[in-house]
Amino acid sequence: MLFWGAMTDDRRFFDEIEVGEEYESPGRTVTESDIVLFAGVSGDYNILHTDAEFMKQSIFGERIAHGLLGLAIQSGLFTRATRAYATVAFVGLRWKFKAPVKIGDTIRLRARVTAKRESEKPECGVVTLERRLLNQRDEIVQEGETDLLVERRGV
Amino acid sequence: MNPPAKLYFDDVGIGDEHRTPAITVTSTHLALYGAVTSDAAVEAGMVPELLPLCLSTGLGWRLPRPPLVVLAFMALEWHILKALAVGDTIYSRARTVGKRTLREAGVVIEEHEIVDQRGDVVQRGRFTFLVGKRPARDAGAGSPSVGAGTVGAASQGGSHGS
Repeated sequence: MLFWGAMTDDRRFFDEIEVGEEYESPGRTVTESDIVLFAGVSGDYNILHTDAEFMKQSIFGERIAHGLLGLAIQSGLFTRATRAYATVAFVGLRWKFKAPVKIGDTIRLRARVTAKRESEKPECGVVTLERRLLNQRDEIVQEGETDLLVERRGV
Repeated sequence: MNPPAKLYFDDVGIGDEHRTPAITVTSTHLALYGAVTSDAAVEAGMVPELLPLCLSTGLGWRLPRPPLVVLAFMALEWHILKALAVGDTIYSRARTVGKRTLREAGVVIEEHEIVDQRGDVVQRGRFTFLVGKRPARDAGAGSPSVGAGTVGAASQGGSHGS
């Protein structure tokens, strides 16, 4: 049962989202617990993320977060960066992992709408966002583009 | 004692294929993933789009072959074709489609597909990894000093890579 029917729908629809809009999320400190839980849920126990002693000897000097953990966290941060989009689906991603995220780093998302286009589905459109994940030193740790399928209002 | 076996850049060939075991996506996965990332699907009971991708990397560790010496995950191009619901079972298949050698390591490009229990490809795309080369003398492959050298290369290649 859709919750929205009974309430004012304040989600942002395709037609209302404008190219050039920018958002910035709150910061999120990545902890050891995040990395341990992510290793557990994903099953990715690569030594880069799980062997503190080995990583002491590496150039990083310590364990680093999974690249996909950063990607997943930015997806969560997006929902805290702007009023919710009327998103139907997340359909595509072009992404670069530029620098490691270490335990204690605080990351935040900066996103900008770069394109809007029609979709094969008449009731939706595709919104492309350029996203940058920054750390506490304003270094870009990850960046790329995401495509979201977003509902048109009242279609 | 021998160090654990590893698969280096030199051991990877274009056209190499693998298929992982399968995993059923449960509400526990959603709860744990949601707790870590605060990422959720649009609809209750549906699987957040990035979760199958995350699970597929773990499935890769369950292949009956030594693990690839991935020094850094460099890039990802990914398409989500079909939504998954809790209870769906997925596996991943991959094929190496590109290799490029750098000074201290190499770049490996793999095409990945995530397939559900109906045989439908639900997500697909390309992973670009920086992979360690086989050390000149493999005897010390498991020792931290050799590891340090290769992970060092990771940082360089990772930050300057395409």
